[in-house]
Amino acid sequence: MNPSIIGQMAVSGALMGLVYALIAYGFQLTYATSKSINFGQGELVMVSAFFSLTLTNLGLPYWLMVPGGLLFGALLGLVVERAGVRLALEQKSEGWILLSIILGLFFFSAAENIWGRDDRPFPTPFQSDPIRVFGVDVTRQELSVAVGVFAIMGLIELFKRRTLLGKAFEAVSADRDAAELMGISATRTVMLSYALSGVVAALAGILVSPITTVGPTMASALILKAFSVAVVAGLDSGFGVVLIGMALGALESLASFYLGSGWREAPGLTLLILALAVRPTGVFGKAVIRKV
Amino acid sequence: MLIVDDLHAGYGASEVLVGTTLTVKPGAVVALIGANGAGKTTTMRAVSGMVRPSRGRVVLDGRDVQGLDASRIARLGLAHSPEGRKVFGPLSVEDNLLLGAYGRLPKFLGFKSGAQADLDRVYGLFPRLKDRAKQASGTLSGGEQQMLAIGRALMARPKVMLLDEPSMGLAPVIVQEVFRTIRRLKEEGITLLLVEQFAKSALEVADYAYVMERGRIAVEGTPEELGRNERVIAAYLG
Repeated sequence: MNPSIIGQMAVSGALMGLVYALIAYGFQLTYATSKSINFGQGELVMVSAFFSLTLTNLGLPYWLMVPGGLLFGALLGLVVERAGVRLALEQKSEGWILLSIILGLFFFSAAENIWGRDDRPFPTPFQSDPIRVFGVDVTRQELSVAVGVFAIMGLIELFKRRTLLGKAFEAVSADRDAAELMGISATRTVMLSYALSGVVAALAGILVSPITTVGPTMASALILKAFSVAVVAGLDSGFGVVLIGMALGALESLASFYLGSGWREAPGLTLLILALAVRPTGVFGKAVIRKV
Repeated sequence: MLIVDDLHAGYGASEVLVGTTLTVKPGAVVALIGANGAGKTTTMRAVSGMVRPSRGRVVLDGRDVQGLDASRIARLGLAHSPEGRKVFGPLSVEDNLLLGAYGRLPKFLGFKSGAQADLDRVYGLFPRLKDRAKQASGTLSGGEQQMLAIGRALMARPKVMLLDEPSMGLAPVIVQEVFRTIRRLKEEGITLLLVEQFAKSALEVADYAYVMERGRIAVEGTPEELGRNERVIAAYLG
């Protein structure tokens, strides 16, 4: 085993893992406000990526396509909230699980019908020739993933801490009833969280597609890993998903290089099972601060 | 200012309120007393929209609000400081206070300057909150959390304030402090509906009082009148 190859594989994998982290972060956003997550999040990533590809094919330059794709992702998030999650939450039922899966299947079929079953290349202005950073080769494409993921997560965290609307978001997460008594509409806050979750899903699609290509099957491949990351890291630590996402990406990349590409899925599933068995609140899941 | 008329409400099939009727006049402090399970807290929850009334009216400042979302009723001028205080534990003391004024502040930036006068007022009432402004409110003591809950409700500059069991679980010396604060707010002209286990203390500060039994008002009157009512004395003031 050549250490420089190990380092190389680990870094490439970790950058890829940031995409899992970003999708898992989308779970955290909606879980915080509504204790629900969109099981069709992978389909949101995929459909938004396809939509962005169509925007590009219509002649839109990359830097206009990105906001267009993100906006579309937000709309899809709102559709999931309105057509699925809210119906269940109003009944105080767990039906959002099934409803979000069904909506995901619907998006999947729609995508197959509109864009076909083939994987297609996705545009990027970032070149894939390697540059050397601290002794490992990374491509500008891979770096753009890291920059994009940290930028959007940073912006959302800044929004939560620095704006009153963001603090209201946190208040609904902490105590929905009490937030309502402050005049904060919990329903609108949940909508906002689903819109933001859709935005991060769309960005994940736009960032990952130049590397993996776009196709209907990308949804299931990504969602499983994002899910592993969310379960292992817990549903309330943004820092946690970044760390676990990078670790998982690195492990995957090493497993597929040294054990064969069939082993690529093994680390994620192993981590998932271990986490569920040992620490179901997640490694970074924290107990709520409360003293009476 | 606040009129509750023939209010019915409950949880699922069990009706807790069976025709509660009461009035809180502008600038009055009104106490709502009664045994555990009589429906005091449910009355407050039905007024503020946390529980949807099945029948009856709630009129806030001349406007029917029964059936509206709690957040809507709050924005119309009702501040409900709930039982158990319900501060936002992970958020700082100051953020809790700012959120109290949520309805009338800009939602993105510049919200703090819009609330500075109210923050100063609350910090004046409760200097300890100022010392702990940046601290996560979940780490405060029970008494401090109660002050925060009252302060947060005041931040809204409410037309009517509901205060549910402010003395619950607090040491006697803290309870005295809470009632001193209520007296001071009364001098400032607050319109307040107060639910309290300590009937005696509540009657000392109130202008008018209602006694609840099994989901409706059993006796009402000024504290002096209730103080002469043998049934009330036996049940609540003995």
